[in-house]
Amino acid sequence: MSRIFVTGMGIVSALGEGKELNRIALMQGNTGIGKTSYLQTRYADLPLGEVKLSTEEILCRLNRKEPGMTRTALLAFLALNESIRDSSLSEQGLGSEQTALIGANTVGGICLTDELYRDSNSSEKGSPYLFSYDCGSVSLFLQSYFKIGGIVSSINTACSSSANAIMYGARLISSGLAGRAIVGGCDSLAKFTINGFNALHILSDEPCRPFDQQRKGLNLGEGAAFLVLEKEELCRGKKIYARVSGYGNSNDAFHASSLSENGEGPFLAMKQALFKAGLEPGEINFINAHGTGTENNDEVESRAMIRLFGTVPPFASTKASTGHTLGAAGAIEAVFSIQNIYHGEFYPGLRFGEPISGIGLIPLTEYLKLETNPNHIMSNSFGFGGNCTSLIFSKV
Amino acid sequence: MFYIHDNACISPQRTFPEAESDLEQISEASEGKLFAREPAYDKIPLGVLRRMGKAARMGVGAAMELVTQKPDGIVIGTSEGGLEDCIKFLNQIIEYKEGVLTPTNFVQSTTNAIAAQIGLLSANKGYNCTHAHRGLSFENAMLDAYMLLEEGKKKKYLLGAVDEISAYNYNIERLGGSYKSDPVKGPELYEMHTAGTIAGEGAAMFLVNKSADSAIAHVQDIKTLHTRDVARVATELRAFLTKNEKQMARTSLLISGENGDERVQKYYSACEEVLGPNIPVARYKHISGEYGTANSFALWLATRILQGHPLPAHFYKHAAPVSPVSSILIYNNYKGLQHSFILVTDPQETPYLA
Amino acid sequence: MEREELKSQLKKQIVEFLNLMQVKPEDIKDDEPLFGEGLGLDSIDSIELIVLLNREYGIDIKDPKEGRKVLVDVNTMVDYIEAHRTK
Repeated sequence: MSRIFVTGMGIVSALGEGKELNRIALMQGNTGIGKTSYLQTRYADLPLGEVKLSTEEILCRLNRKEPGMTRTALLAFLALNESIRDSSLSEQGLGSEQTALIGANTVGGICLTDELYRDSNSSEKGSPYLFSYDCGSVSLFLQSYFKIGGIVSSINTACSSSANAIMYGARLISSGLAGRAIVGGCDSLAKFTINGFNALHILSDEPCRPFDQQRKGLNLGEGAAFLVLEKEELCRGKKIYARVSGYGNSNDAFHASSLSENGEGPFLAMKQALFKAGLEPGEINFINAHGTGTENNDEVESRAMIRLFGTVPPFASTKASTGHTLGAAGAIEAVFSIQNIYHGEFYPGLRFGEPISGIGLIPLTEYLKLETNPNHIMSNSFGFGGNCTSLIFSKV
Repeated sequence: MFYIHDNACISPQRTFPEAESDLEQISEASEGKLFAREPAYDKIPLGVLRRMGKAARMGVGAAMELVTQKPDGIVIGTSEGGLEDCIKFLNQIIEYKEGVLTPTNFVQSTTNAIAAQIGLLSANKGYNCTHAHRGLSFENAMLDAYMLLEEGKKKKYLLGAVDEISAYNYNIERLGGSYKSDPVKGPELYEMHTAGTIAGEGAAMFLVNKSADSAIAHVQDIKTLHTRDVARVATELRAFLTKNEKQMARTSLLISGENGDERVQKYYSACEEVLGPNIPVARYKHISGEYGTANSFALWLATRILQGHPLPAHFYKHAAPVSPVSSILIYNNYKGLQHSFILVTDPQETPYLA
Repeated sequence: MEREELKSQLKKQIVEFLNLMQVKPEDIKDDEPLFGEGLGLDSIDSIELIVLLNREYGIDIKDPKEGRKVLVDVNTMVDYIEAHRTK
């Protein structure tokens, strides 16, 4: 079977726009979490990871008039555009039946909370956003804008959505249904999700502290990231960042919004990813953990890592820098994991002080430049409904 | 591609339980909506049922019929998931001015809550995925299941789709001009030559694997495409027919997703033209209504036909097939943009060679 | 309001708020545990009950640990309502 390479990446997050700005922020231990400038909500004082661009500013970049554009779709546009330029994909390449597009998001156009409220309850004329609310609207916009010719889907499995989009894209290539897949996810901050997570009492009123005993919950963020995956045969002469070597998805089957105590779902997802990659646990050099900063996730993820690895490899959660970007998280963290490999460096988890009692795991807290590029990086994403996905990227 | 071994369908008609299916007497749309006939859901524990919105009830209710066969994973397509819960939560946000809100609607509104709940109730820790790609959600779930079965040839999966009509999505679609304003009665839907269609909802679940033994249907091929170009649809259909020439030679039925919306009729007409006048055409949206995953109802119909239950006359556009049907082409488009061709055949006549 | 009256009102509200389809309000015993055995409610229900106390009785419970002490059974909830209600 031909290998699957990553030949392009694009990202926008609270840390900045583009791979380089994100990387510099991570190297310097900067955080994108703080007060919001654009989002209108009663909770604007909570720490959130907002992209420092107004919706109008991004709209200008489209260079053409598109009705019903949402912030979610616009963030996706920025990241996808960067990824295909990075991979030097031609119009012809994009339009080929061999080119798939798999997008993921959880809120779609529900970021327009007030417009949706009016459109769903009013009998008068609708807003321009009538067909921009659903999850599929984002991939449909990207497909029509970039005229992508192959299989197109949208995946929504809550916080693991874009990890599953990457996995689905890799499988489309493995199975021969596609030769190339543009895969990723996006989400924007929304009253809807802020109030939802707030109602579940898992939003922290301080910048989050993944894997710390004193952690108080998560900070929501927004952003988007896309990868261009291509089968080896299409990559001659191209820049190659890494390859997708392993993936696994498992359902925790325990509870609608929290993980089982011993982390069966996370354990199985990581185990399957290792199996798919043909690796022993000891061969993983670094784990970009899901690490949301909630009481439940960090403890359960730690337990699952200890169960699988015994001695847990260096790990950290970059959500302390970006916030939890929900449908974008898996793809954003895939970009960071691939940068770990490509640049030979690990990014720290911020604000860690004290290990979780009874667990004792300590994440990486300082930027680390390596002498040789690491071979294998694991990236975890777990979502509501117990949907757990683990990806492995490897050096080429 | 793969075989269907079992099915369950909750729809606006008498389709559930499977053994009591009856498509002769049909329920008509009321005020442009075809609401599902919901069963008592006696296989869903009350403690769980109490929190479920309609999409979850229908999806989980239909799935519970099949999960006893312990599938290795669950793949669901839904264009909107539990939209009713989503907007209930939204209404709370506005009504209580982002104050103290109940989380249940939020948790239930997660699009993957249905697949997750099926996994939870059947203790299924396998692959679990939800495709939410509007009018091609179910087809992508089918492709996902196909790949899973290529990856693990001995495995079996629960494949399904569900969508609900809520007051809210109905309102949004109505404002967007998706529905007819005049009342619609049965197959008259196809004769009105006006814009818009009628709303529908339902859940269809299938147990799929790679074994022809005692299968009820064989999914031979699936093709999806995004275009508004009629000529392109016709070209793709010709290519699909050529690729599947052997099976197509015996194609004896087109199940058409025609929905009475004159704005998208040209695509259905173009496909009929490609197939030629000798292929009978069955239509179903007068009994299912239109929704993002209505094609799952068409696949359920195909499995019924291949099991020897001929469709009643109200389905047929012109004449009914004269001989038993062994090969069925399903064509659907959603709002003139998302198209799919699915070829389904009699599993006993086409032994799978792979 | 009399304590007994408050109890039966609260039981009705619990059944309605949590949509406990199989439970009649009068069947809930005053000392029956709400979580685990007994009514078998879970963590999301506990948050729902905190919302109930807020909306019906104007009680604001911010700390989930405080919630756990209040939401033991109908008796403990009624004790808390009597002491803290603002409406």
